[in-house]
Amino acid sequence: MVNILDDYALMSPLRYRNNWLKLSIVTFGILTGVSSTSPFTPLLIALCMGFATVYFGRIPFKFYLKLLALPAGFVLTSAVIIAFFFGTGDILFSFDVSGYTLAVKSGGLNMALLVLSRTIGGMSCLFFLSLTTPMVELFAVLKATHFPDSFVEIAMMMYRYIFVFLEVAMGIRYAQTVRLGYRDFRTSFRSLVMLGTNLFIRSWEQGEKLYLSMNSRCYDGKMILLEEKRPVRMPEVLLTCSYFALVLSVFYLTRGITLI
Amino acid sequence: MVVLETKDLSYSYPDGTLALEDINIKIEKGKKIAFVGRNGSGKSTLFMALNGTHRPQKGQVLYHGEPLRYDSKSLREVRKNVGIVFQNSDDQIFAPTIYQDVAFGPINLGYPKEKVEKIVTDTLEYVGLTPLKNKPPHHLSGGQKKRVAIAGIVAMDPEIIILDEPLSNLDPVGADEVMDLLNELNYFGKTIIISTHDVDLAYSWADYVFLMNNRRVISEGVPEDIFRQTENLKAAYLRRPVTLEIYEEIKKRGLAKIKSCPRDIPDLVQTLRSQHLMWVDVPPEVEVGDTINLGILYGEYAMDSTYEAINCRVLHIHEEGLAIVEMDRKALRAGSIGIYDTSRYSHDELMRIIKRDGIECVGAMGKKSKLIAEEDDIYVHVTSGVIDRSILNALSGQRCLILTHDGMVEHALDRIRGYMEKSGINIPVSVANPLLEK
Repeated sequence: MVNILDDYALMSPLRYRNNWLKLSIVTFGILTGVSSTSPFTPLLIALCMGFATVYFGRIPFKFYLKLLALPAGFVLTSAVIIAFFFGTGDILFSFDVSGYTLAVKSGGLNMALLVLSRTIGGMSCLFFLSLTTPMVELFAVLKATHFPDSFVEIAMMMYRYIFVFLEVAMGIRYAQTVRLGYRDFRTSFRSLVMLGTNLFIRSWEQGEKLYLSMNSRCYDGKMILLEEKRPVRMPEVLLTCSYFALVLSVFYLTRGITLI
Repeated sequence: MVVLETKDLSYSYPDGTLALEDINIKIEKGKKIAFVGRNGSGKSTLFMALNGTHRPQKGQVLYHGEPLRYDSKSLREVRKNVGIVFQNSDDQIFAPTIYQDVAFGPINLGYPKEKVEKIVTDTLEYVGLTPLKNKPPHHLSGGQKKRVAIAGIVAMDPEIIILDEPLSNLDPVGADEVMDLLNELNYFGKTIIISTHDVDLAYSWADYVFLMNNRRVISEGVPEDIFRQTENLKAAYLRRPVTLEIYEEIKKRGLAKIKSCPRDIPDLVQTLRSQHLMWVDVPPEVEVGDTINLGILYGEYAMDSTYEAINCRVLHIHEEGLAIVEMDRKALRAGSIGIYDTSRYSHDELMRIIKRDGIECVGAMGKKSKLIAEEDDIYVHVTSGVIDRSILNALSGQRCLILTHDGMVEHALDRIRGYMEKSGINIPVSVANPLLEK
C-alpha cells in the first residue's frame, strides 16, 4: 500500500484527543506564524509542532522528515529567488552573469528567511493536524460547525469509496502492467484512458449498488453522525496554555528583529 | 409457520431480460435455508424481490401471509424485517468507520440516540469487532468486513436475514467464523437464508434447500433428498457433495452400512461397519463360529488408543493355530466432552478443569471464546467445526473440552445429544462450569 497520511492519523494516539483542542492549536499556530515579523516565532512553532507530532503522535521521525522535505524543497527554491530579486539595502554579495549583476541585498535575504520560516511553521501545523486527526474525526467537526448535512454525507461516502476505487484502480493498473500495457508512450496512454473509463463505469455501478444497499437498510435521507465525547483533560489544557504563552511572548519579544 | 412466501413470481429487468419465472416458495420460520444454483441462476434477483427492491411484474411476495405493498411505509416495514447482506461487503459498508456503519440501520429506524448506542455496542460485541470499532473499513480483512456487513443487518434486529454468497472470497477460517455466527443467530430464532453454489456447505448446513437453475426453482426439499437426485443436480450444473460421494464409494466396497445419508463427518464415521478382521493365534479346540475374548489390545494393534476386544467371532481356522476373527472395537477408556461456558470465565478455574479432567483436546467456538483463548494464551487444538471434531475425538477415546458462551452452550449440548440419539453411542457430556444456584 502507498503511504497515506490518513493511515498514520488513524494509528496515532493523538487521534483520541479532543478535536477542537487540536484545531485551535493549529489555527493559533498558523495565525501567529503568518503575522509574525521575525523568523523566530514560526521556527519555534515548527519546532514545537514537530516535537508534538513525532513524540506525542508517534509518527516515525524519518517519515516526518521526508514529508517535510517535500514542501521544504519548494520553499528553498523560492527563498533563493526572493533573496536575489527582492528587497533593498546593503548588497551582501553579488556576481556577474554574462553582463548582468545578480546581488543579494540584506532586505531580500531577511524577506527570504521570513518566508522560509513562515512556510515551515505553517506546514508543520498542517502536518500536525493531518497526521493526528483522520478524516473520520474531521467529519464530526464539520457536522458540528453546521455544514450542510448533504455536503458532509457526500464527503463521508466519497472518503469511503476513494479507498475502494484506489484498490480497483491499482488492480486494473497491475493487470495492465503485466500484460505490457505500459510498454511505451502509446500503450501507456491507451491503458490510462481505458483505466479511466473503466473506473468511471465502475463508480457509476457502485453508486447504484450503494443506493440499493442503503435502501435495504431503510435509508430515508438522513445519516446522523455520532460524535464521540472526548473531554479535554487538565494536563492537555496546561500544556496548550504554556505553549500559547511561550509562542506569544517570543512573538512579542522578537517583533521586528531580523537576522541580518 | 410460513414467514415469507412467493406466488407465481416473475420478474424481468427494465431492459426486458427475464430474470425470474414462476417462483413459488415458502420459507418457514426459524429454519436454515439454502438456495443452491450456479452463477446467474437468479438467486440474487430473487432475494431483491423478497425485500421489495424489485417489484415483480407477475405474481406476488407475501410476508406473514400479507401481500407486499410497494408504498414507502410498507417497504420500510418489510426491509426492517428482511435484512439482506450483499455478496460484496464493499457495496454495503459505506460509512467511514465501522461504528457508524453499524449505526446506520438503527438510526434509520428512528431510535433515540442512547438506544442506537446500546444496540451498536452490543452488536459489535456480539460479532467480536469491538476492538475495531473506530477503524475505517479499508483497514479490515475480508472476513472482518463480512462480519461488519452482517452486524449492520443484525443491528436492525430483522426476523429474516438473507445472505448472498456469504462465503465468497473468504479464507477457511473466515468462512468458519461467519458460519458460526449464522448458526448462532439461527439458534436464537432468526430465519437464515443463504445463496451459494457450494454444494458441500448447503448439504451439511441447511435444513431446507431450493435448487435453482435458469430463473426457476427446479427442486426443493430437505438436503438428504435434494442432493441424492443426481439428475436434478446435473440439470442445475452442480455436483454431489463430497461427504455423499465418499459414502457412496465406501458403500460400494461393502465398508459402510446401506441406507444412510451422512451429512457430516461424524455421520460418515457412523455409517462405517464396525467390522474389523484380524489374524490371531487360537487354541486348537476353537471352531469356526465360536466367540472368543482377546482381552485388551494396545501397541501396534491399537495405534490411536487402546481398546478392548471382546466377543470376537471366529470366521476361519487356518493351519498352525491361526484364525481370522471379526471383532467389535470398543474403546477401553470412554472419551468425554466437557463444555466450558466462557461467559463465566476465570483463567484459574479453566486451567484447573483442564488438569482435573485430563483434557487432551480443547476447542473454541464463537468469536468471543476464541478471543479469550487468544488473549490468555490457552492452546486451542480445534477452532473450526468444533462440535463435530470433538465428537470424533471423543469417539476415539479422547477427553475434549469446548470453550463457548451463553446460548451456544445449549446449542452444543443439543447437537451432541442429537448425535448420541442418532448413533446410539453414549458420550459422557457435561457443562464443566455449571451455573451454581445461590
